[in-house]
Amino acid sequence: METAFRVTSGRGTSCDLFSFHGNIDAQAEHLLKELPSRISRPVVRFDFGSTGRINSMGIALLLRCFKLIKEQKKAEIELVALNPMNAILFKMTGVFLLAKQVP
Amino acid sequence: MQSHPPIVALVRDTGDNRLRKLLTDEVPGIVTVVVGPHLSLSLEKLLMTGQSPRLVIVSGRLYPAERPELVSLVRRVIPGAEFLVVSAAEDKPPVLHQLGVDRVRHLVISPAAGDTADAARGQLGHAVKNLTEGTPWTAVDYLKEGTKVHEFPLCRSDEKEAIIAAVAGLIDGDSDETELFRQKVALLTDEMLENALYAAPRTPEGEQLYRKGEQRPVSREEQIVFRFGFDGETVAMEATDGWGSLRPETVIQHLAKNQTLAGDVGETGGRGIFIIWQFLEQLYISICPGRRTVVGGHVRRSSPTDLEVPRGFHIVTTACCI
Repeated sequence: METAFRVTSGRGTSCDLFSFHGNIDAQAEHLLKELPSRISRPVVRFDFGSTGRINSMGIALLLRCFKLIKEQKKAEIELVALNPMNAILFKMTGVFLLAKQVP
Repeated sequence: MQSHPPIVALVRDTGDNRLRKLLTDEVPGIVTVVVGPHLSLSLEKLLMTGQSPRLVIVSGRLYPAERPELVSLVRRVIPGAEFLVVSAAEDKPPVLHQLGVDRVRHLVISPAAGDTADAARGQLGHAVKNLTEGTPWTAVDYLKEGTKVHEFPLCRSDEKEAIIAAVAGLIDGDSDETELFRQKVALLTDEMLENALYAAPRTPEGEQLYRKGEQRPVSREEQIVFRFGFDGETVAMEATDGWGSLRPETVIQHLAKNQTLAGDVGETGGRGIFIIWQFLEQLYISICPGRRTVVGGHVRRSSPTDLEVPRGFHIVTTACCI
């Protein structure tokens, strides 16, 4: 699995779609910072199927990004294709308080 | 033969039978005191025999939830004692705020009824031995005898990924459980190295010297070394830095804050150490102020991933470095 972080985007019928590739850590700061400005629909879905390791800095950046999306864009956040490890990590650190996991 | 001051255990009158058996099995010569309304009286009687306990073991079924004042009360009677809380794996994790207030630095989780692994059993006896003899915790303590411990001194921050790959590469197998274990170990390595590379280096005023993720050389004086071993069941690992900037009270504050403020998006410090604690079975931190910090612990293939299962820790401050 690739380690360098990148984001690809798409548009679903009713939501904005983004896929996260690689590890989410301090190197992801720039891309995650600009992401809220790209949201235009009331629902945004993040695909973690190609995501690798997420460390504490990555968690901090995701929390900040999700909070901005909820506050500024009033959008609902859905998370898909989380592996068991990242699901445990999100539960542990409260990410699921801002975003819900969907099948 | 050297004799140690007695070790006292404070237990509940009911519901602490398993802890009592564990204490009898693992801590020879322990004096057990059932905590009732006249606890001070019992302790004063003990002191009148001329024996001042060096270590007080407190049942997690008493403290901190049921009797939050217990440690401060005992400390008034036995001011020099070290405190060790023992919480059962099947009980709710103890709320750490009170442990922080009372400067309690040791928490052991007694194994669940069916857990017969060597690394799970014997942790209490091991903790008591280290605390009474003043021996530091090390990674090898948790590995089968003869297991090779690998050592990586760091010269540059970008060596982190190679070390993570080396640790994860020790774990063979391709089942879902093995993959989860491998990912857990990789994240633990990442967090321990991030802590040594970016959280430890501080100015004398306590300001962080480097930005997280910043690529930087590591000088010899920093003495950042990562050690790990895998005996087929248990991975033990530790990261050492030559800064010695971590403070025990800060660690407990970080653990307590993150335990109760999940989802806080402010600049909550200590999320990394909280994650390390949650994924390890037992965390140990040894601090020689201004000279060295060791953050380490172990995790087993069969360690529970259930977040409701409590985790233990030991935080010790040493006067000098070995």
